[in-house]
Amino acid sequence: MPKNLKYTVFLVLIAVVAYNSFYFKKLDDVKANTGSNAGEKFDAAAYAQNFWTAKLLPASAHATELSTLIPLLKTDEAKAFATYSHALGIGNIRYFLVKGDGKITAVSDNDVTVSLPSGEVVKLATEYIFGNAARDASGLIKITEFDNTMDLNNVSAELNKIIRNSVLPTLKSSAKPGNTITFIGAIELNKAHLHLENLEVIPISVHEAAGMGVREKE
Amino acid sequence: MNSQRFIFLWLFVFLILVGSCTNKSDTGQPKKVAVIVSTLNNPWFVVLAETAAAQAKALGYETKIFDSQNNTALESDHFENAIVSGFNAILLNPTDSDGSIVNAMKAKDAGIPVFCMDREVNSPQAATCQILSDNYSGCVAIGKYFVQTLRSKVKNAPIQYVEILGLVGDNNTWNRSKGFHSVVDHYPNFKMVAQQSADFDRNKAMEVLESILQANPDVNAVFCGNDAMAMGAYQALVAAGKAKDVGVFGFDGADDVMNSIRDGKIKATGLQSPQTMAKTAAQYADEYIKGKRDFAKKVPVAVELVDQTNIRDYSNAKKS
Repeated sequence: MPKNLKYTVFLVLIAVVAYNSFYFKKLDDVKANTGSNAGEKFDAAAYAQNFWTAKLLPASAHATELSTLIPLLKTDEAKAFATYSHALGIGNIRYFLVKGDGKITAVSDNDVTVSLPSGEVVKLATEYIFGNAARDASGLIKITEFDNTMDLNNVSAELNKIIRNSVLPTLKSSAKPGNTITFIGAIELNKAHLHLENLEVIPISVHEAAGMGVREKE
Repeated sequence: MNSQRFIFLWLFVFLILVGSCTNKSDTGQPKKVAVIVSTLNNPWFVVLAETAAAQAKALGYETKIFDSQNNTALESDHFENAIVSGFNAILLNPTDSDGSIVNAMKAKDAGIPVFCMDREVNSPQAATCQILSDNYSGCVAIGKYFVQTLRSKVKNAPIQYVEILGLVGDNNTWNRSKGFHSVVDHYPNFKMVAQQSADFDRNKAMEVLESILQANPDVNAVFCGNDAMAMGAYQALVAAGKAKDVGVFGFDGADDVMNSIRDGKIKATGLQSPQTMAKTAAQYADEYIKGKRDFAKKVPVAVELVDQTNIRDYSNAKKS
């Protein structure tokens, strides 16, 4: 074999080996492809939308009446938390899926104050829709479904976004003092430091009887 | 010669059988749980380690605490020791979320479950379960209170704030920051004029804020990634004569900050519970040893917002 051909073959061989010996990848891509959910990126918005329509709204029919829950919290706190509360994490913060009705007594920039027939007052939040109440209150999401807590955080954020976009605008525009309202929502309570005055309800579904008819916002 | 070989062969088989019969776990001796903690120089981690050990002991296990002194290599030695000494489970507070993966994997390969407490390792495969403070949600609650208090004071006026971060390589730093911003960034009139790291250190936070205040004298609030930095920030504000005008927000629930909230000096903090994390980790290890296998990969532990309105609920400062 001529010498030049030998060298050429040798160099081509070296080039092929070198080319296949290393490659460049973005570190973000490598990180994204390791772990148990390798290859599939969690779509929190789609998960939240599906959870909202397929699970949370149907489950709202079984929400606990505030007229049942509040007296039980006053007389047998432990039983009330054990029976009706849920939370994905552990600790003192627990969530309840509740329903109630009452008369609107005040409307502010941040909330709608509702006086319940029992005399208690709750506030339907209209400004600060944050936290895990909508995600956790129904108890229908299992923590074992998730390997990554940031996915769980994003589900909360997306559910709160749905509430902001689909529940709040009509509630804010139509809530007027004197009107009667029925609502389903989620509340957060600390089981070690329980306060029942001015309960803040994150609204999930609201029906308002405004004299001229009933309007529904979900 | 052949008969000698025969005797040696039988002796070898006999010794193996005798060795296998002396397996410690089958002799009725108590099973053992190792607590490997990042450092015992910080009282927070002392509480974490001692509570975990005490809970495991209460559940009937022999326990030993290993101090990694914030050194991943030393942590690796502790894992080797724990594996060789026949520990049945490891409760781990890792030194490094990436560097500790290999150590946890070693234990996993040896069939020993690892339960992380307070700090995570960046691999869902390495630990059986990770029990972690819900830093993100805790800071969502702080962010909400931050916006509520500042908006009521200066309604819709531009609000300038500073964020002092912890160690930039620590996951907790960014989970706290992300939770806080998930709320505050909804309000366009809130402008972050500076975001700087002070490594979770009180003195560094004081120096960092002193220099920021020179360039931004009209700051309305400071959010700090832990309570030590909140105390440092407060000191800087006192020195600048702005302590009454600028709200300081921390995270941890440390004694001095809880007392400062009581005195009206600090606005709020997120109260973590090392005891809950440690007890849960020991409980889970016990359940694993008894046969349970379906653990959530990560279990968040609720962080409670402590502010000017509910500080009375927390009358006794926590020893952490």
